Amino acid sequence: MRKLTHLLQKIRKLKRSQHHHLLHQVHTKHKISRRTLFYIKEYSSEQKVISTVLKESIKILILASLISSLGGLALENIKQAFISIIPLVILLPALNDMIGSYGSIFSAKFSTLLHEGRLNRNWQHNPELKKLFLQVLVIASITTFITTSIALGISWFTKHQLSLGFILKIFLISFLDVLFFISLLVLIAIFAGFYVYRKKEDPNNFLIPITTSIADLGNMLVLAGLVLLFF
Amino acid sequence: MPFFDREFKEIFSAELISIFGGLLVGIALAIYTDKLLLIPGMLILLPGFLEMRGNISGSLASRISSGLFLKVITLKKPRSRIIQGNLIASFLLAFIVTLSLGMIAFLLTLALFHVTEPVLIILPVLAGIIANIIQIPLTLALTFYLFKRGHDPNNIMGPFLTSSGDVISIFALLLTLVIL
Repeated sequence: MRKLTHLLQKIRKLKRSQHHHLLHQVHTKHKISRRTLFYIKEYSSEQKVISTVLKESIKILILASLISSLGGLALENIKQAFISIIPLVILLPALNDMIGSYGSIFSAKFSTLLHEGRLNRNWQHNPELKKLFLQVLVIASITTFITTSIALGISWFTKHQLSLGFILKIFLISFLDVLFFISLLVLIAIFAGFYVYRKKEDPNNFLIPITTSIADLGNMLVLAGLVLLFF
Repeated sequence: MPFFDREFKEIFSAELISIFGGLLVGIALAIYTDKLLLIPGMLILLPGFLEMRGNISGSLASRISSGLFLKVITLKKPRSRIIQGNLIASFLLAFIVTLSLGMIAFLLTLALFHVTEPVLIILPVLAGIIANIIQIPLTLALTFYLFKRGHDPNNIMGPFLTSSGDVISIFALLLTLVIL
């Protein structure tokens, strides 16, 4: 036991980028999983945790901010038209949230599947992944219907003019937006997740910011486009 | 593998909470349009600002969850170095990102609309500090609580954080506007 503790202390002192034979040795001899050893090496001391998290997250978070700002720019250009359609103003944060959070759920669960070694290159035929995607899609359809109905209901209560054509347009915009972006984000999470994992980085730090910011950018660009198209 | 299993229910109920949070923010935006949305460049700043809280806390919750599943983090030691390091890193990230976000919004507004609006830099930094003082400890506490109760925090934390992040962010933005 003392020897193992000593070995784990040595692993903690390794550089993040270093692929040391010690990891393999401890894994085979003491039956400690590779993932646990990866975490010990990556996030072993307070100083190392801070620098690792900052180093891995800062670039992607700033990129995410830039992407989201560009999305906002599309709406800023049609601000007057946009803020006059009350149901869309109410729906905007909810749509951003929904798309982003489905992307986050998928990314987080995909990262866990990767860390636990339950995914291989043949991911298309993985039943767990297939089920997760379908579950997310079904839940997204139900929540989109509920959200859009509530936004329209609130607008109606505030005496906003709602014709049948207007209601259908709002529903069409919501469903197109949500279902298209969820499918896109799932694909991005899978390909980017494998890429990051192969580079021995933690996909958690990369996938969530990138999926949510792509969701924001795409959502606002599509909303801006649809507002111009339909209204 | 049943389709409507525990995971389905967990994701669905968390999403229901999430959409109500998003709708609350939408209603606040519709009510305070003149105070918030009419500030030049606000629509450039707002999506990134709302999203950032989910990004930073979402990654924090996900790292803590993975650590808990891998038993590198244990419920018995909530003040371990890994957790303390994660908390400090999340606060630092939030400060750097809000500052960058403000700078981006300020420069884009200046370059494209020829409007100088310094509030676009000060507002997200101050509101970010207020929002993170609430959000980051909340994230840690809830991740631990959910894991302790036998839930998979990954299913619940994502939607909860985006939604609570939005509500806390809008509250922090309005509070900062009042202070300024």
